[in-house]
Amino acid sequence: MTFELFSNLVGAFFTLAIFSFLYKDNPLYQMSEQLLVGISLGYGLVYSYERVFIPYLWQPIFLKHQWPLIVPAILGMFYLLRFTRKFSWLSRYPIAFSMMSVGASVALAMHSLILVQMRQAMIPIENFNLFLIFIGTITVLLYFFFSKAHTGVYGKFVSVGKWYMMVGFGASFGLTVMARISLLIGRIQFLVNDVFGKLF
Amino acid sequence: MNIFERIQKLDRRWIYIVVALAIILPLAIPFNSDDVTSPPTENLYQFIDAMAGRQDRAVLMSFYHDASTMPELFPMEVAIIRHCFERNIKVFMLTWFPQGAPIIDYAINTVKEEYPNIKSGVDYCNFGYIPAALALPTILGMGDNIATAVKTDAEGRKVENLEIIKGVTNYSEMNLVVEFSGSSAGGTWLFYARPKFGLNIAVGVTAVMAADEYPYLQSGQMIGMLAGLKGAAEYEKLVDVFAAYREPGDPTEAPRMENGNRKALGRSFSSDILREESIKELINITTQTTASFSPTEYQEFIAKYPDKTAIFDNLKLEKDGKIEIDVTKISDAEAEELGHTAHADLKRMTHNIIYKFKVARIGMNAQSVAHIMIIVFIILGNIGYFIQKARQAKQQ
Repeated sequence: MTFELFSNLVGAFFTLAIFSFLYKDNPLYQMSEQLLVGISLGYGLVYSYERVFIPYLWQPIFLKHQWPLIVPAILGMFYLLRFTRKFSWLSRYPIAFSMMSVGASVALAMHSLILVQMRQAMIPIENFNLFLIFIGTITVLLYFFFSKAHTGVYGKFVSVGKWYMMVGFGASFGLTVMARISLLIGRIQFLVNDVFGKLF
Repeated sequence: MNIFERIQKLDRRWIYIVVALAIILPLAIPFNSDDVTSPPTENLYQFIDAMAGRQDRAVLMSFYHDASTMPELFPMEVAIIRHCFERNIKVFMLTWFPQGAPIIDYAINTVKEEYPNIKSGVDYCNFGYIPAALALPTILGMGDNIATAVKTDAEGRKVENLEIIKGVTNYSEMNLVVEFSGSSAGGTWLFYARPKFGLNIAVGVTAVMAADEYPYLQSGQMIGMLAGLKGAAEYEKLVDVFAAYREPGDPTEAPRMENGNRKALGRSFSSDILREESIKELINITTQTTASFSPTEYQEFIAKYPDKTAIFDNLKLEKDGKIEIDVTKISDAEAEELGHTAHADLKRMTHNIIYKFKVARIGMNAQSVAHIMIIVFIILGNIGYFIQKARQAKQQ
């Protein structure tokens, strides 16, 4: 038996163990679920140690003697003080420092998420699709304007926005079904081709 | 109790069995179906294809996911890498997830098996895992100089010394990033690299996320999108119809031109070709074993291998004015005598698609059957619900 086939058999065992939940909850399913969480965490920890701690901290400080890096290292270690009652307040400093990236992204995100999107919503209505987008944008925005009661002609107009959202939810649901089915297809393709196909 | 009421009370495990059968049967009995390509997929394909053979253009692929979304995203990644390898397009890869690193290796190795001449550091470069905390300085840094922002690749080599980086300095050359993700695909690039450097962005997302990405396509902030398994199937088809297509007389390796660029083999995208009946034989997902030539095509083909003419002549069969070679009838000794290049070239002429390059299309067969079944379930469930409701109203 090759190593590839052996590893595929292990994968097949855990796939079927997870699928067994569809019949009812059982110890095999629980074992597989907990093993997955443990392995993912362990893998991420070891990989981060090897690809982050060693090249970005250990080597620069102890091999290249870039001493200023000790300051962010200590700041980073403050995260761990979250587990002590006396010094947990210190963990707020690295969190506050990392918020810098939020500050950096505000102006640029405003450009991408709001300004460009708004500009593209203000183009001339040259075809029917653009007309539909125009009506949808206006009615959905008004639907969430709660300072005026949704009654009378205004109420009927904003309810168009509700229909737009319903269509959106329907599309999202359809795509979600497609995604979930794809995951099942992926697993069955694995069982059929990589396991049974190689066994028989 | 009528049938609709019975369905309302059906044990959910029966539904699971029906769903499983609806997927297993189309996978066990594959059939040829056509995945009509959509504009977001075609746009991405054309954008990448415009870089064919150029030494001063490159694509960056960001693998922002772990194994849980592989069934949808992995076939897309394989299809794009294959496209780049077929058309001599430089490709870089990175991941912000530790769990994404082995997926990059797996994707490269899956494709590379079929392209023995493709070399790491020359045709592609894997930057490997870069911590998400460093995404901001890395993305902004690459806008200035890629080799400074990412000093070493996954194999520990200095990026500035690699051959692939020659002619590629920053986003002016590596002007397309394709991010694959099951959650916020393209977000970081859209916030930082697009407004500041005008970087072109495309995404490969799970179907769940597709609805969230459409507004960015509509506004032109993203140049293309592969949505779920369907997007992957469409891209696989485009690669087979255009990038992997070869005329019998085409050379097996792209010659280098005077300006350093390479002549791109395959053919360029064309909507007219997609509408042609003849492409049906290029996208068959069932097994093809016979290479069929007209007499002229056969002469062009064997002219590439003058010392192997006798072997080809020995293998050929003439049928209805066509010359056919069944590749299953080639013995191991004959295959060895032909050599890898000629044997692979002949296999390409059968238009048989290797399993790993048609995974998404086979999956879409099952997807279609499952969708019809789910629609039937929804209709039956709704009819049952309204019948039950009407009866309850009558009783009151």
